[in-house]
Amino acid sequence: MTDNTDTTMAPRLIGKPQSKLSRLFESRKLGWVAFGIAILTPFIIATPYSLNVMTNAAIFVMLASGLNIVVGYCGLLDLGYMAFMAVGAYTAGILAKSFELPLIFTIPAVVVMTVLAGLIIGAPTLRLRSDYLAIVTLGFGEIIRITANNLDITGGTSGIFGIPGLEIFGVDLQQPVPFYYISVVVVSLFVLAAARLGKSRIGRAWRFVREDEDAAEAMGIHTYQAKLMAYIFGAVWGGMAGVLFAAHLSAVSPQTFVFLNSALLLMAVVLGGMGNIRGVVLGAIAISVLPELLRDFADYRYLAFGIVLVVVMVFRPQGFWPIRASEPERGITDQKSRRATRKGNVHDWHPRGS
Amino acid sequence: MSQLIWNGLFVGSFYALIAIGYTMVYGIIKLLNFAHGDIYMLGAFIGFVALGSFGSIPGSMSLIVLLIVMLLSMVLTGFAGVLIERVAYRPLRSAPRLAVLITAVGVSFSLEYGVSAIFGPNPRVFPVRLSNDGANLLGAHVSYSQLMLMLIAILLMIGLNAFVQGTSTGRAMRSIALDTKASLLMGINVDSVITRTFFIGSALAGAAGVMAGAYYGNINFLMGFIIGLKAFTAAVIGGIGNIRGAMLGGLLLGLLEAFGSEWFGGQWRDVFSFSVLILILTLRPTGILGGRVTERV
Amino acid sequence: MNKIGYKVVLATIATAAVLATSGCSGVLSGGGSDPTNDTGPIMLADIVPISGSLAPSGLTMKNGAQMAVDEINAKGGVLNRKLKLDVLDGACDPQQAVSAANKAISNGDVMSVGNYCSGAALPTLPIFNKAHIPMILAAADSQVLPDAKSPNAFLINGTGVQQAESAVKFMKKEGVKSVALVDDNTQFSKDITTGTAKDLEKDGSVKVLLNTSITAGESDYSSIVHSIVSANPDMLYFTAYYQEGGLIINQLRAAGFTGKIMVGDGSVDPALIKIAGVANAEGVFATSPPTPDTLPNAKNWVANYTKKFNIAPGPFSTQAYDAVRLAAQVITNAKTTDGPAVIKALKTIKGFQLFTGTLEFTPEQTLKSGGYVILVVKDGEFTLKDSLK
Repeated sequence: MTDNTDTTMAPRLIGKPQSKLSRLFESRKLGWVAFGIAILTPFIIATPYSLNVMTNAAIFVMLASGLNIVVGYCGLLDLGYMAFMAVGAYTAGILAKSFELPLIFTIPAVVVMTVLAGLIIGAPTLRLRSDYLAIVTLGFGEIIRITANNLDITGGTSGIFGIPGLEIFGVDLQQPVPFYYISVVVVSLFVLAAARLGKSRIGRAWRFVREDEDAAEAMGIHTYQAKLMAYIFGAVWGGMAGVLFAAHLSAVSPQTFVFLNSALLLMAVVLGGMGNIRGVVLGAIAISVLPELLRDFADYRYLAFGIVLVVVMVFRPQGFWPIRASEPERGITDQKSRRATRKGNVHDWHPRGS
Repeated sequence: MSQLIWNGLFVGSFYALIAIGYTMVYGIIKLLNFAHGDIYMLGAFIGFVALGSFGSIPGSMSLIVLLIVMLLSMVLTGFAGVLIERVAYRPLRSAPRLAVLITAVGVSFSLEYGVSAIFGPNPRVFPVRLSNDGANLLGAHVSYSQLMLMLIAILLMIGLNAFVQGTSTGRAMRSIALDTKASLLMGINVDSVITRTFFIGSALAGAAGVMAGAYYGNINFLMGFIIGLKAFTAAVIGGIGNIRGAMLGGLLLGLLEAFGSEWFGGQWRDVFSFSVLILILTLRPTGILGGRVTERV
Repeated sequence: MNKIGYKVVLATIATAAVLATSGCSGVLSGGGSDPTNDTGPIMLADIVPISGSLAPSGLTMKNGAQMAVDEINAKGGVLNRKLKLDVLDGACDPQQAVSAANKAISNGDVMSVGNYCSGAALPTLPIFNKAHIPMILAAADSQVLPDAKSPNAFLINGTGVQQAESAVKFMKKEGVKSVALVDDNTQFSKDITTGTAKDLEKDGSVKVLLNTSITAGESDYSSIVHSIVSANPDMLYFTAYYQEGGLIINQLRAAGFTGKIMVGDGSVDPALIKIAGVANAEGVFATSPPTPDTLPNAKNWVANYTKKFNIAPGPFSTQAYDAVRLAAQVITNAKTTDGPAVIKALKTIKGFQLFTGTLEFTPEQTLKSGGYVILVVKDGEFTLKDSLK
């Protein structure tokens, strides 16, 4: 328990003195810089295609920031996160279409539904740890997707289409450019909120649960409650991203929520650097834009994607932007103690001393 | 009823063979090897190429040829597993555990679309097809080839069990699973044991691939994806990291699917089996045979 | 040090592999050719699945379209310009298809001639419509597409409803009293089974004993086979793809099922017979548009195709070929590549010959007659059984 250093729990007290560069990376202004880049990019390339790719990336960033609450902050491995997005997208789509509501007015219902989904998925998993948790979340993801595929109310396999777009005071915001800006603003707010959440009281509780669940409990943290809150917040983020997604495509169909997409989302979080919202944003952009960049490879697109993933991770195993700026090198001998102290329960389910 | 049970057990034995590889790798380096199902696919394609190179095979010889090809495929997929471990997993040994998940998915993509680039995306028909002759057993149609494949699967599992329980390498594996650091201090060559684990796990998947190709007759570059997911599920039901648990989990999953499909229709089958899975894990949070998670002190 | 050296080697190999697989340039820039530029090639968007489990069908469609493009270019092209096929991976995934559609527009494509999966095609309709790009949907045939009422979309494959009608007609003709309907829970497949079930219910003379779905991509279908054998219908009607179809036929016959088997057009592929085994596939019926093999006037076409691509033409290769030819024809008729004019030309086209007969659109811009016929497997090949005329 000696090197339990986390930027939030013990800021800048333990570890190497920070270099100029890492101070730059910790700067609060960085968020504004990223926001500025997002705002200015359409002035450089504004084809419908690039706007579409960027809007998709923005939605993916929002999903990743939500998953980061569950996986990165609280350490609950979730392989079925797309289920939350499905709940949000379908709720919004069904309500908007059958009552001819503007999508904005479906948001309260979406929040209610996703909170419910978070509770339902969260409750049976509270006792589970690590990869048992992973398979249960995977199971829930598949259950929700298959159910949506089989029910009539969700439109079966074709899903729901012709969803009315975003409209505020009679202004159609469905054009690529306004929609992109709306997405950027909405996503930025949610990312900011996620970052704030990570530093709040409940955020500290999550990190404690992640580092050591039993110690957290001993210190008076209600771990079940903390975990449930993580699921609920994650669900709301996913659901809202679902609303954005439904508005963007004006259609929702079950294929979007296949396991592979949940896996890609998890990859975005890990690739960026679990728990660090800046890294997660970067990872999400990389994972969503890379297959588009590789589109010209045609038949070899996913082969190239796979190779790139392996190579990137071999060079940067800790992710683009891990939670601490400086990550000391460690060998395998240190793996066990490191896992126990830094990564917490999620990574160490294995019976020891038995 | 007996037909359903038999069908479930037969499919389940395939799940079990692949789940074992999953569980062995997991037990030792705590990695969810998402590329494992693709090793099964690779095994089937190696079998396809090898059988094709034999030219026409007379019916009486096909069984022997098939066994030879299966052994060949096991050796080659074994080495493929070792290579993958060396290239994609070992450099990340000291990285956060989930990081390796990314390379695993990367390897999975590379294998799938690499095979697709070589053989094309079209499904291939296996050159040898086992016959469907069989007998009635307690009201179920059981074909001889099914019996034979199950026998091979059982023999492989028994052999593996003996290996893990009886040999020094097997002991080393179990020791690493318990505590990597202590094993290293006790003089175990961790790297070499991990290599052997990957070899064995991949060889079993390769064997399953050839068996599936010969029995079902159809192989394609994505055939490993779904079965990989199922094997993961099976491994977790049984208690991940536990080899006997993986066998049990595989058979159980096969049975669940057979009955789920019968009772609720094919479209609800996976919902049924996942619901039972969630129920099992709610009651037994570490799977059926999984060890208790010791609370940290 | 050793570790670093290894990484360098790995990176070199990876870079080499990545570079070797492409001769590409210009990513994301999306400049493409200018649509108003009327000397460059006329670009046709061909969104088909290149990755994922439906990649084989994407390949045959791409080949069919490419063949038409090459033939037309050999004859001098259209409006004195060459045609160029812009193949984009839709992966049968709505989100990817939308990206591909946007990319097509950025690339300056003036028409869309591809589309295999209805679910993926659906969200691209409004995108192409907004850009005033006419779409000829070569294979996607779900009823949801005409239901979306997109003025720019024309379907040249019969719809699932039409296919279901043909199936019902043939079931009654064969004196079938009970059927089992099996789909794979994808849009087009489910369209046919629900359509058939609806028609049969209205008709009343054939009983539906079982209506269920499989999961595509597996190998073992023994549980569904068990359900079919237990229900023991006179006929099984399977509406999904040939890989699963072949496996199910094989496993059904092994389990002792002696009833009739009929498959939908997604299963009409020589591979079905190979996977099922020639003996098992013998006598299997299929509802399908006439395939090149069964068309008397397509012998040459099949030979050319086989020579060009070293592979026999699969299902939907003719539709893809027809889509490109139709696109060339309407651009010629309109004398421009301007979207609204081409759409007008599509609406008024008369007497154009498709593989399946003379083209005639209904008001909802689908084929007036699906042109479905019944095929039967005879001596390991699909042959014409009944033209249902």
